[in-house]
Amino acid sequence: MVVSNAVNRASFQVSTPSDEEIRMTRLFNAPPELVFEVMSKPEHVKQWWGQLGEGYSVPVCEIDLRIGGKWRFVNRHPKGEVCFYGEYREINPPGRLVFTEIFEQFPDAVSVVTAELQREGTQTRFIATVKYPSREVRDIVIGSGMERGAAASYDQLESLLGRLQ
Amino acid sequence: MSAAAQSSADALSATFAALADPTRRAILARLASGECSVSELAEPFSMSMPAVSKHLRLLERAGLIVQRRDAQRRPCRIEAAPLKQVSEWAEHYRHIWEERLDRLDAYLEQLTTKEKSHGRQQRSKPR
Repeated sequence: MVVSNAVNRASFQVSTPSDEEIRMTRLFNAPPELVFEVMSKPEHVKQWWGQLGEGYSVPVCEIDLRIGGKWRFVNRHPKGEVCFYGEYREINPPGRLVFTEIFEQFPDAVSVVTAELQREGTQTRFIATVKYPSREVRDIVIGSGMERGAAASYDQLESLLGRLQ
Repeated sequence: MSAAAQSSADALSATFAALADPTRRAILARLASGECSVSELAEPFSMSMPAVSKHLRLLERAGLIVQRRDAQRRPCRIEAAPLKQVSEWAEHYRHIWEERLDRLDAYLEQLTTKEKSHGRQQRSKPR
């Protein structure tokens, strides 16, 4: 249940804590206070969120960091824009942030992201648990290649989807 | 929600439901290598023709396959568009998350390096 396909991403791990969830963990070389700040202030988010190569930018980054407050990020890419938005549900700096996330094209597929920041010496262990609307939705996400070594049918679907992209 | 967004969400739900079954995923994988008749599709699954037909009807309703009316054969072929939509959606959650965290890592590295050389006030002011 563990994926890590690059040396510099060695701390990245994926697991499935329940039928509807996927959990990703990662170490960062910074204290939780800084990681939390960088995740929740627009001037920082613009610097790392979204694909940021040539022709990419984050023209919209709105954060209303209150319970029930909305967030909305737009990633501009060479062929257009993609928008993600959601709402904050729990805000407990520097250890925990819970928010909903919706990809604008599929507004019915609401995922709930629980981000936990655990101090480990001078580092932070970041744990993001994403809860999908159903097991089917989560399985599709996994089947698309998130988890290696899954059942043969998933492998087939993975290669199928790969060819169709 | 706009009508277009609603129909896009509905289409995605139908695709997810159709893909939720391992037999149907295996059927799609088989069709990915080319058009097949219903009996050719039934062969690898020790399953009755009516049972296979039921799966095919579900896949057809979700727009994942198209079945031709060719006398007895009723050949099926795969329809790529809805799968591509699911794939795009899933893509976000797969490597975009991983990439996102890599970029966050690089950005934190940049900030903490700066902090060490210029002091703490740099923290909330990235260039």
